[in-house]
Amino acid sequence: MKSLFLLVVAFVAVRSDNDDNAARLLASKSILNQFIVEGKELTVEYSIYNVGSSQAYNVELSDSSFPEEDFQRVSGSLNVKWDRLAVGANVSHAVILKPLRPGYANFTAAQVKYYPTEESQAVQVGYTTAPGEAGIVGLKDYERRFSPHIVDWATFAIMTLPSIGFPFLLWYRSKSKYDVKHKKN
Amino acid sequence: MATSTKILALAVLAVLPLLMNASTCIGPQVTSNVYTTSEASMSISTVFVVEVAVKCNNGEKDLLLFADVNGHMVPATQSGTGKFQVSWSDEHKKLPAGTYGVRFFDEEGYNAVRKEKRSGTDGSTVTPIFTVNVKHSGTWTGPYVQTEFVATCVALLVWYMAYRSKSFLMS
Repeated sequence: MKSLFLLVVAFVAVRSDNDDNAARLLASKSILNQFIVEGKELTVEYSIYNVGSSQAYNVELSDSSFPEEDFQRVSGSLNVKWDRLAVGANVSHAVILKPLRPGYANFTAAQVKYYPTEESQAVQVGYTTAPGEAGIVGLKDYERRFSPHIVDWATFAIMTLPSIGFPFLLWYRSKSKYDVKHKKN
Repeated sequence: MATSTKILALAVLAVLPLLMNASTCIGPQVTSNVYTTSEASMSISTVFVVEVAVKCNNGEKDLLLFADVNGHMVPATQSGTGKFQVSWSDEHKKLPAGTYGVRFFDEEGYNAVRKEKRSGTDGSTVTPIFTVNVKHSGTWTGPYVQTEFVATCVALLVWYMAYRSKSFLMS
């Protein structure tokens, strides 16, 4: 009986440590592209959810995995902060970049820093999910597969013109001569 | 006795707004930069990014902004002093081409809108600090007709005309 009571006390003590009335943030980072092409936009979306039992304060998201020489910033900022994040609320943030070089890129996690309660002095550091490795397709290869090739088709039409146009011209000339003769008669 | 308490009450009321930490922006000068997804193959959902730089006439630096995005109130992220960003995304079908007005509120406006929404209305009567118009020209999902299809049709047409004139001659 006494051991059972001690077990219950121990269990309660451990459990209450988790429900400390603090904020807990889960963050995800995802790449929304179907294809990542050099020179075309790369869309990165971050989502932060507060699954804790208190508001999170001074939430800071900073992503240093896109060096300036490899990714040009088109829109959005890679270092942002929110003043507060309510319980059960979620925010999303998007950044648009342009890859400057083809090849393999490893998309690593971004860092999220926040204060779990209003009085806490220690900042809590967390990381988003990492999308992982992906290939950046070169622009030429992408265009070869997906562009409408209008110029190529126009060139093809011009090249087929002699082989179709020449017999047509012969037929037309003889036809017009025959018609004139017929009219004369 | 009654007048002195009245004067005291009036004095307190007069000082109260100064004591409150309401950070409002008077006469905001806004420069905005807007991005919308242009090609569907570059993103599986249409993303709108609105970046604003706000300068207040009253020199307010600790401004907190909230934006009304498609009926949904979100806090604006701060990417520097006076620089804010609001971004949202949805399926391509749900964000067709057109102009979307994004209303920005300060804390007072945000609380007013929340109160209105709780009482049933959609909060559209609250005046925002400023509004940014986002012009979206639609997300391009590919050409209507593939050029290969057009080329095949032209080739078939040419062949058909030749065949018809040939059978006409032969008859």
